[in-house]
Amino acid sequence: MILLALLYIYPIFLMFLNSLKPFGEVVSDVIALPKAATFQNYADVVKRMQYFQLFSNNVIITAIGVTGIVALASLAAYVLDRRRTRYAKLAYLLIITPMLIPFQTFMITLLKVMTVAHLAGSTWGLGIQYWGFGVPMAVFIYFNFMNTIPRELDESALIDGATTFRTFRSIIFPMLKTITATVVVLDVMWIWNDFLLPLLMVNGRPETKTLVLSAYTFVGQFNTQWHYAMTAMVLTVLPSIVIFIALQRNIVQGVVAGAIKG
Amino acid sequence: MKSPRNRIETVVYSLPCLALVALTIYLPFVLSGYYSLTKWNGIAREPVFIGLRNFADLIRGDGSFMRALIFTGEYTVVSMVALNAAALALAVVLVKDLKSRNFLRSVFFVPYILSMTIVGFIWQFIFSKGFEDLYKITGFAFLRLSWLGDVRIVFYSVVLVGVWQAVGFYVVLYVAGLQSIPRDILEAAVVDGANGPTKFLRVTLPMLSSSINTCVLLSMINSLKVFDTILALTKGGPAGSTYSATLEIYREAFQNNNYGLGAAKSLVFFLIVLVLTLFVLRLFRSRDDAA
Repeated sequence: MILLALLYIYPIFLMFLNSLKPFGEVVSDVIALPKAATFQNYADVVKRMQYFQLFSNNVIITAIGVTGIVALASLAAYVLDRRRTRYAKLAYLLIITPMLIPFQTFMITLLKVMTVAHLAGSTWGLGIQYWGFGVPMAVFIYFNFMNTIPRELDESALIDGATTFRTFRSIIFPMLKTITATVVVLDVMWIWNDFLLPLLMVNGRPETKTLVLSAYTFVGQFNTQWHYAMTAMVLTVLPSIVIFIALQRNIVQGVVAGAIKG
Repeated sequence: MKSPRNRIETVVYSLPCLALVALTIYLPFVLSGYYSLTKWNGIAREPVFIGLRNFADLIRGDGSFMRALIFTGEYTVVSMVALNAAALALAVVLVKDLKSRNFLRSVFFVPYILSMTIVGFIWQFIFSKGFEDLYKITGFAFLRLSWLGDVRIVFYSVVLVGVWQAVGFYVVLYVAGLQSIPRDILEAAVVDGANGPTKFLRVTLPMLSSSINTCVLLSMINSLKVFDTILALTKGGPAGSTYSATLEIYREAFQNNNYGLGAAKSLVFFLIVLVLTLFVLRLFRSRDDAA
């Protein structure tokens, strides 16, 4: 079993291995260990890709996206669960239905709409777009979790004179911690690694590109220069791997909870 | 507590979500329906209304869309079977009390957290360069096949990469399902004389049905939408043999600049995904009722 597992991640290992070799060694033998491991490729690629710019773009987009999704979706799910009016039922249905619509079926016109709305071509605009795409599943997950929180809690707060928003902020939202973790894990993984939406929206200028997007162009350009391609790929996936190793348990639990509820 | 104030609050606090979904999903979706009835190259100021001609073209045209749909269908079926079988088999091993099981579960999960584009590139490297050098060492004949260049083989390469990337996700779901089966039921089955395979087929599998439903549905929807890995791995080649439906829509709109025809293709694709999803959901419901 351990052998199978090692074989399984061998491709990832090979990618790391070859990012440490000079060009000549990659060409002559992919399997062999580097004669002398060098980080020269990393220095070169970090500069050529403008890695730190891309990295900070990714952080900005993901942060804007996830913060907005969590804030908007948890609040909406709360009022829609507690006030079962006809409006609330209809609104809930309208918000979650898009989970059934594949992104690729409306991406053509999306670009046009977003250009008109001035949300295309910038990192913050892209972050805001993720609110729209992330909210359906987040509302769905929050809504299903909401009935595990006893109504007496918020009702007594309301009787004590707290406003709905205040009740939500100081009583309900803190109780949603575990499910918020799930939403955050799922959305960070999705937005950080997303390819097609950034390709449509922020591919125009180097200052707005995301990591994966840039890696795609870079590897395309340096297709025959494998040592650079491998290094760019390692640099792109490294943040995900580091975060995964640090938060393994939370990530796996979050993904399971999301899949079962979603 | 249905005061007017409450009513207003309900609307105000849910409106941002509704508005965002309307702007990013419903509006483009409806517009896409309109564009499917037009001829538009994305540059001309106004699309020209041409009725159902795009849809007629889909049927009569060069068959590229049909080919993409067939590829997507085959890809989905093979991936679903391979993913669920492999994930279930791994999960059965990984719930046992192995010392290394946490480590092993993580190993299989790692590809799932990677960007699918990068996964495509990693395997492009492995197939074209890695296999060549591995062959020199091991002499295994399968390493010499043209994994990305032969139209008959490339289908399996694409499936392999898709399965490699996603299997860890389904393993975790199946492990969670297996862990939720009460031990005493399994022990009772043993007491009643069930041996290994019978126990698995007659007790474990039926108890897993909700995990199986989830995994089958998710693997179907995700396989139907396959895009990033193929774009990075083969770009639809060789000879256009690995164009998935979504890649074909992308190409028609953004590379051929036929926005109208692309929109028509996306509409057909949407209907197919919707019908399949509802069909599978209904199938599960009726099976659960019968059980």
